[in-house]
Amino acid sequence: MSTLTDPRGYWGDLTSEERGVAGFLAAAVLVLLALMLTGVLNPTYFLFLFGLGGMFGLMSLGLNAQWGYTGLINFSVAAFFGLGAYGAAIMTASNSPIAGDMNPIFGLVLGLILSAIVAIAIGIPTLRLRADYLAIASLGLAEVVRLIILNEGQWTAGSQGLRGIPRFFEGWPVLPTLPEALPQVNIEMIPGRVVTLGLPFWRQLLNVTLVLTFMAGAYLVLRRAHRSPWGRVLRTIRADEDLAKALGKNTYFFKMQSFVLGCLVMALAGVFFAHFQLFVNPGNLDPTTTFYVWVAVILGGAGSNRGALFGGFVVVAIREGPQFIEQLPPAFLTEFPPGFLRDLGFITDDVLFELPSIAISPGPLQLLLVGLLIILIMRFRPQGVLPPQRELIWPDAVDEDVRKRPDSGVRDQRGGDGDE
Amino acid sequence: MSESPTEGTATDASTERAAEETPGDDEERSEIVLEVENLRKEFGALVAADDATFDVERGTITGLIGPNGAGKSTIFNLISGFYEPDAGSVRLNGDDVTGIEPYKIANRGLIRTFQTPRKLEGMTVREAMLIGPQRQPGESFHKLFTAPGAVGERERANMADVERILEEFEIDHLARQPATDISGGQMKLVELARAMLAEPEILLLDEPVAGVNPTLANKLADQIRRLHEQGTTFLLIEHDMSFIMSLADPIVVLDQGSVLMEGTPEEVRTDERVADAYLGGGGV
Repeated sequence: MSTLTDPRGYWGDLTSEERGVAGFLAAAVLVLLALMLTGVLNPTYFLFLFGLGGMFGLMSLGLNAQWGYTGLINFSVAAFFGLGAYGAAIMTASNSPIAGDMNPIFGLVLGLILSAIVAIAIGIPTLRLRADYLAIASLGLAEVVRLIILNEGQWTAGSQGLRGIPRFFEGWPVLPTLPEALPQVNIEMIPGRVVTLGLPFWRQLLNVTLVLTFMAGAYLVLRRAHRSPWGRVLRTIRADEDLAKALGKNTYFFKMQSFVLGCLVMALAGVFFAHFQLFVNPGNLDPTTTFYVWVAVILGGAGSNRGALFGGFVVVAIREGPQFIEQLPPAFLTEFPPGFLRDLGFITDDVLFELPSIAISPGPLQLLLVGLLIILIMRFRPQGVLPPQRELIWPDAVDEDVRKRPDSGVRDQRGGDGDE
Repeated sequence: MSESPTEGTATDASTERAAEETPGDDEERSEIVLEVENLRKEFGALVAADDATFDVERGTITGLIGPNGAGKSTIFNLISGFYEPDAGSVRLNGDDVTGIEPYKIANRGLIRTFQTPRKLEGMTVREAMLIGPQRQPGESFHKLFTAPGAVGERERANMADVERILEEFEIDHLARQPATDISGGQMKLVELARAMLAEPEILLLDEPVAGVNPTLANKLADQIRRLHEQGTTFLLIEHDMSFIMSLADPIVVLDQGSVLMEGTPEEVRTDERVADAYLGGGGV
């Protein structure tokens, strides 16, 4: 509300980190819009990437609720993601050996229940111990879950995977047929380059709406939890578990809650993935996912929900970005006039000069960039891009703090004629 | 403002106590808050606590002293549940609390502080203070969503308590400082203030003035006296002899894991066994 009534004041309240990230995001949006309107980037494909970004954002939110809040080291992000995906797929896929062809809501419920059960099962023996033990156990758990899914074909269809998963909004009113009903839109910003927004685009937009809904839900729950006394106990445990114990907090129970909550959010990402790809197989539980999510949380800043979301999107940009680069240095640096200008048809097709460059395959470049990113963060900004910026106190209490006098006056009045 | 009269009465009371008990105190003194009986803890061949037995009576500031390695901190850890004793028992208000979890002991009204102040990264002082209050509705996850009003109300009340207690401790100017950026002595004050928010019946302080400058140490002593006047029982470990002699009565002297003697500061000061223990005890 204050954003709308007083934008300048809102901007003034932001810290320099927040301004930096906001500026970066604004620039990224502008560049992406320009790329899409000029036809360089296919909008449908962009929405697909955005969906992936949201999925990673969700997983980072989940890991942040475990590691960022409480200091729990969880190396089985991919497993809980996979449990969510398989929970959804088993209930809804057409070749599911158990259930199949049910409403996606049941899949959502099963995915969440599965991940909660596994989280509790791994938490009971490890959360009473030091943080290291959970780390070791979760490393093993990821592999165990993947192998069970791969080998228990009578439940999961094994290595052939589960196919024929419906879209999430199948069976809902209006939404499943909405993309068909929407018209095809042609945008021609540059003569001869028509950007078409058709059925695939609207379908993908519906997917993005789903992931945004999941993200918003998870974010709102986590933000409230983070600012509450509950979150404060978790942060105390992260800093010093003995202190929390000495002040009468049942740290085991708090750690369990934090762990299960994070796993549920990861499973949510998996549920989205199943209805996004419409196909899941054991390869989706690839442990590298876990480490990308860790990079996202470290990049965003431990304990920061917004940072985790930001990190999730950046990681996807780094994972998927290299496929647009065919050589290094990129063509627009070594050729004149650059390729994209010639693509647009302003300039004739003659290359005036060309500097030497090497052809590149995206896979190794991905790893190189991630490695570089980790080194840069650790060297220059170990606390992450956007660590928590403000005191985390229940909002009511802080407001009261600011406008103390008028409120106490009101309370006195109420006390006079009230009946409580 | 209200500081000087409180201080005045505190000093009066402690002088009275040092001279002889007041009748009012007598009634309270009949009750024992903490009973430590034959407490034993071995680390391999080392017997850190060797059948230690002593009581802490309600309304006292009981001192626990002894040379390095006498087992003072071990005893604290055994009482507060951080170590499990090999033998013996700890009773809190008559209930056996031997070997139960630290948080349960804290919930029963025994709060402890640590020798080295614990740092809470990423929190301001007032946030770090807000962990102190017990049984906050906001610590239950579902209530954040089912009863946000109650959570907010309690948080407001706690916040007011935090402000009040920070003012009483004269560190209200630190409220919004990062909890890791204050001096060691201020951290000790914050720890004591936070422990008070837990409304303990008995407070165990592990070297409250170690590494604290004399001015701040006096301030801490004043605070302990003031809180004692308000009804809190204290058990404290301290190496600073003048600090503990002026503050505590009775004093329990530990040596090699067992209780050497117990008495008033005067008795402790004049006891030969105590002097021997501190000087190496070659004669025994």
